[in-house]
Amino acid sequence: MTTTTQQRNYWEKAKDAGFDLGWLNQLRENIVIEEEAETSDNLTGRVSGSIPRPEAPKFGAYPFRTKKEVWGYNLRKLHEEFVTRQWSSATDIPWETLEELPDDIEAAECQLATFFAQVEFVAADVPGRFIATMSPDYQEVRLALLGQVMDESRHLDVFRKRALANGGGLMRMIDSVTDVVGGSTDNAREYTELSTRLHIVGEGNVLTLFRLGELMAYNDAEKAIYRRCAQDEARHVAIGVLHARYMKESSPERMEEIHCYLDEAENRQSSGAGGENPAARNMLTSEALAVLLGGGKDKVDEGQKILMAVRQKQVKEYFQRLKSAGMDDRITNGRVNPSLLEAYKAL
Amino acid sequence: MRTTDQDNENTNQTSVDESGSLGWMNDSLAWGTKARPGKKGLTLEDINLGIYGQVPEQSEEMTRMPRGAFHVPGLPRLEFYPLSKKSDIWANNAGTLYEEAIQRRWMAHVDIPWDSIQTLPRELELSMCQLSTELAQQATIETDCIGQWVGRMNYAYHEVKTFLATELYDSGRHHDVFRKRALANGGVLGLESPGHINRRIIESRAGWTETAIYLYLLRAPLTLTLYRYGEAYALNPAEKLLFRLCIQDKARHIAYGMSHIRYAITERGSDVALGLLRMMAGVEQDLYSEMKDPVLWEALAIIFGGGLENISAGMEIVKNLKKNYITEYIDRMRYVGIDKTIENLAPGLRSYLEADAPPGES
Repeated sequence: MTTTTQQRNYWEKAKDAGFDLGWLNQLRENIVIEEEAETSDNLTGRVSGSIPRPEAPKFGAYPFRTKKEVWGYNLRKLHEEFVTRQWSSATDIPWETLEELPDDIEAAECQLATFFAQVEFVAADVPGRFIATMSPDYQEVRLALLGQVMDESRHLDVFRKRALANGGGLMRMIDSVTDVVGGSTDNAREYTELSTRLHIVGEGNVLTLFRLGELMAYNDAEKAIYRRCAQDEARHVAIGVLHARYMKESSPERMEEIHCYLDEAENRQSSGAGGENPAARNMLTSEALAVLLGGGKDKVDEGQKILMAVRQKQVKEYFQRLKSAGMDDRITNGRVNPSLLEAYKAL
Repeated sequence: MRTTDQDNENTNQTSVDESGSLGWMNDSLAWGTKARPGKKGLTLEDINLGIYGQVPEQSEEMTRMPRGAFHVPGLPRLEFYPLSKKSDIWANNAGTLYEEAIQRRWMAHVDIPWDSIQTLPRELELSMCQLSTELAQQATIETDCIGQWVGRMNYAYHEVKTFLATELYDSGRHHDVFRKRALANGGVLGLESPGHINRRIIESRAGWTETAIYLYLLRAPLTLTLYRYGEAYALNPAEKLLFRLCIQDKARHIAYGMSHIRYAITERGSDVALGLLRMMAGVEQDLYSEMKDPVLWEALAIIFGGGLENISAGMEIVKNLKKNYITEYIDRMRYVGIDKTIENLAPGLRSYLEADAPPGES
């Protein structure tokens, strides 16, 4: 162990040799506060808690620099779950359990897989853009969204693999992309708007479907795909619920705005406009689902009945999310979309 | 995949049953496809069969339609993807690297033996904190850069998009692990980067290939070099392992970047290579300005020397590091087809290839 005097000698010797060492003094005096600031002046991409350099060019110019705009509760813990539960579509799915299926069932699985291969990465493209516009001082949010980006790329990949692994092929692209009233997930330029649409409603609807994967799966490979994707999707939904809960407490003045996003999203959930909810009426995937749920193209009517129960479950889980986020007043005050209430009470 | 030269073909393949139920059931361009898992499971390479593996030179599809899906006419664009040419983003190894990234995933909070870190002399600990801060910020810049580009890439090239998603995820992990290291042993966070190269990377607008040069030929070799030296001079098993794992990740990122740039230059010609060479002349000046800043180098000198008392000996190793970095930069530029030489290197950087620069400039 060196003494203080020795240290001082080393220091002086180094200075005499031409070293600067001023930075060491700055580090000695730096105090890292782990609590996130309400506003961020970080325009240089510096790591939260690091020492700013006044001369550094301000190229960051992040549009999202207030905690209120992006934060959510417990995101650190959620991020660790993201990290721990990663999986491989190449090796963690028992592909060898795929067996030849009747053409109508195979076509329906492939149609559904084509849908997911088309839509899942949207939830990577858009959050990717948002991550790059968020101050690194709110790194927990960025990390959670990075976890989502990774998951969604795997979803694109696993469903493409499913479509091409069992004697079928990719099917018809989504053709229900129009009829969007109001804003869309892709177009969102504000994080709360994005999160409300994407995490709470869009991902939520898909989560319900994945959770019911046992009903649509015809072998262990498909069961594993749906089960693992459901785990992933639950985390994505959690990002939105944790953010909404935080918003309710930190920004009550924005609740009406959030309800407006929900108005639009519910409309799309029930009508199928925008092509986000594969179980919605008017979606070609709802026919594919009916074939899978009923057990064949000659049992579509049976499948449609089960699909009604699926839609009901989507609504029930959506209402549960509203409750968890503290926005369930819309269920009882007449604001919720009537067709969702109808589905809720249908069976 | 709908491409310019396939428009006519697709017209004949559009949906035939607009009104009837289950009309989609026959809408597949290559029914009967059966990819089989190989030794590494069912990989993206394994499913690139027939039309599904035909990567178009250019795509006009702006709807996110999966490559090889059945096209439906009359749909509006959902997005404008400015990166819709293969030569803009493609690398032949992207799919393989994607699978490798997933197979080699690791967890900063679980896989690193954090309990192996023991108390260090104050200057040594603070130097490690400074290095960790720099590396965490480099990871942040990587996140911000790729995050703003990946959404502009056409879905015809999903191998690249999914690979870049893994790189985004890696960059988040690298930020996390180095910030953790800075704060894991009684230390603090250090000074932010000077920012010249960070600015170049973030403000790059000319194209993905141009950005990739900043990211994969200019910055990543420095990051990789720092990781390698970090591993060699690690102060405990935790650092040894975290640097080793980061080396794997970074080598993968560079493999994509070099493959893409080389492909882009091969496809687009020598004029592009000359333009890229000229582009780097100014950037090299910025790099030299950044490298004159003593903070990172002095921190490394203390780490390599094993303490403040050996900082001068440590600085000799830093000189080697810089020389290795600049040499590697030149070699990588030449590999991809850019005629970078010692003679046309910025004069300041050239000095790092010569021995015995003074301490402040070393």
